[in-house]
Amino acid sequence: MIAGPIALLLLPLLVAGVVLLLSRWRTPTAVLSTATALALGVAALALPVDRPVKVWGGLQIVLGAPVSFLGRELVLEETDRLACAALFFTSAIIFFLAWRSYSRSLLFPVGWGLLSLSVGVLLVKPFVYAALFIEIAVALSVFALQSEEGPVTRGGMRYLTFSTMALPGILVTHWLLERYEATPDETWLLSTSAVLLAISFALLLGVFPFHSWIPALFGDSSPVAGAFVLTVFGNVIWFALLEFLEAYSWLSAHPSLSSLTLNAGLVLVLLGGTLAPAQRRLSPLVGYGTLVENGAMLIALGLRSEVGMVSLLLAMLTRPLGLGLMALGLDGIRAHSGGKDDGEGLRGVGWRAPWSTTAFVLGGLSVAGLPLGAGFAWRWSLYRALADTDPGTMVLLLLAAAGVMGGLWRGMASLLERPRLPEARSVFPPATREGKLFALSVLIALLLCVVVSIYPQLLSPWVTRMVDACALFR
Amino acid sequence: MPTLPDLVARLSFLAAIPAVAGILITANILVVSREWRLNIFALIVQYFFVVMLMTRLIRLEVAAIKGLIGWMICMVFYLTERRGADLARAVRTSVEVQPEAGSARSWQRWTMTARTAFYLLAGLLVSVAAYMAALRFPLPREVIPPDISLACYLMVGLGLLVIGLSETPMQVGMGLLTFLAGFDLFYVAVEPSLVVVGLIGAVSFLIALAASFLRAAQFVSSEQTEGAE
Repeated sequence: MIAGPIALLLLPLLVAGVVLLLSRWRTPTAVLSTATALALGVAALALPVDRPVKVWGGLQIVLGAPVSFLGRELVLEETDRLACAALFFTSAIIFFLAWRSYSRSLLFPVGWGLLSLSVGVLLVKPFVYAALFIEIAVALSVFALQSEEGPVTRGGMRYLTFSTMALPGILVTHWLLERYEATPDETWLLSTSAVLLAISFALLLGVFPFHSWIPALFGDSSPVAGAFVLTVFGNVIWFALLEFLEAYSWLSAHPSLSSLTLNAGLVLVLLGGTLAPAQRRLSPLVGYGTLVENGAMLIALGLRSEVGMVSLLLAMLTRPLGLGLMALGLDGIRAHSGGKDDGEGLRGVGWRAPWSTTAFVLGGLSVAGLPLGAGFAWRWSLYRALADTDPGTMVLLLLAAAGVMGGLWRGMASLLERPRLPEARSVFPPATREGKLFALSVLIALLLCVVVSIYPQLLSPWVTRMVDACALFR
Repeated sequence: MPTLPDLVARLSFLAAIPAVAGILITANILVVSREWRLNIFALIVQYFFVVMLMTRLIRLEVAAIKGLIGWMICMVFYLTERRGADLARAVRTSVEVQPEAGSARSWQRWTMTARTAFYLLAGLLVSVAAYMAALRFPLPREVIPPDISLACYLMVGLGLLVIGLSETPMQVGMGLLTFLAGFDLFYVAVEPSLVVVGLIGAVSFLIALAASFLRAAQFVSSEQTEGAE
């Protein structure tokens, strides 16, 4: 009999080894990664937690069986299994998009390593070990972010720096809380823990003023790997935060929590919305769009309501589609403009790389939270919740979305510009050089995006189960 | 032949203020210097002093393992830089180098540039700030003696300064490792679990590998650029 936590930890490692061996062949690697991630997601969602199930031959698996690993307890609870399913499904989306991406990096093997560590973050108790797993995963992610042919990823190094600075805060918080259990009179231990924890998660989530790694991540890294780190691994940080808030009720009931998260979210939204239209390059635009998304997610958390939680969880499930598409588009545009993504280098690239341009623009729609983008599904519920309680914040969110759209419009204007001289126009071939498979992958992702935007209720049973399993803000 | 405990007992006079002074000097070298050989040597010596201080807080064997991890990290850095220097030399020999430029560069190595003076001043200021922090906000005395508290503040402060002032992945990696070693010196006293020791060691080693990987990518990238020129 195999315990579920061990299977969920070791299977990704096994797949990482296999895809590392196959990494020369992109299609088998991508197909294997996407199919396995989907299969693991379905298994995490569908298998019963409390009774054994025969999976292969005579092999039995009990998903919820607790395991002791190096003296620490690994427990798969209902929230964890739904979170694991979310991780596997979202990583399947990014693996699928990485199939036809132009830049080459170690995304597939490192991505599977990150998935194994992510499962460890969700399952290990106490959280102090999760913090160390997060740091190991961040250091590992640098190997995926560095593309084989590109310049050195400064964004990846900054990400590693900010995450390393977050580690002491979480570890010391754990120690302070242990001290508080022994001496409950010393209430300053709680307030110090709250401050340390707020700073640590602000560093990990890229909250202002620790946000500079997010725009930098798309500047010189492999964009699809950047999308993986920000969405799949970013979701792990969000789940860890929710788990922490759920485990320490004094923290989730703290009167300052709501105003802190709302204000932090608002600052991010304003920052992203203001700077996005001012960008000359496309890569920081993706980063500032992500800042707006992160800010909106913080605002959803700050609502401290079930509607806020639904919006937040829906955001975690849908953002890989929008951000992944945008990253794939950016990757294609760079490949067709000689590595440049600024005004002059972009001129007319849209005619040579129409599918990349489509992916970038429609992915951008999703990141901005506009209709036909997957991001619209959760933004709409957030707007409705804010319209009743805080219409000013709603208006600012809409303005930030307009800012991201302004940046997209500016980029699109350069991408679709025709050369000035008539004789130069002939250099544009009538047919695209992107290939049918690239077009097919973009089309499938776009279709998924539109379907999620029009029918968000397809995800609602899953989200409802997650909200029901999580005792937070009820 | 003396055993490890004998050696540590003989050097135990270093495991107090001399070790703190050693950390102050080595961390400031990391702030000021951009010469990779000197930096790696400073990191090796820094790990030695950290281990000496740790022997007062945890078992000698565990402290020795931490030291070994640190010295392995230095070995990774050395091999990366060495290989990179060989690559750079190979590229340079294929391109004509002006003799005046070469002699000017060797001169610059031994003169204090404005940048070096600024870095030195910044390092000294952070050192003073760390000293004041150790006096005003000492770490809990029941777990950390005051001199080790000062060493922790020094390494965390100067590590952050190295990160802030550096551009190259290797230098940033050294700053991160100094920062982490400073925190580790405090944390081993409050959480002596072997699993945590192992995981923090793994974190340090992976940071070093990531920095070396990026440095190698930087060498390849600059080689391609120079080759194209």
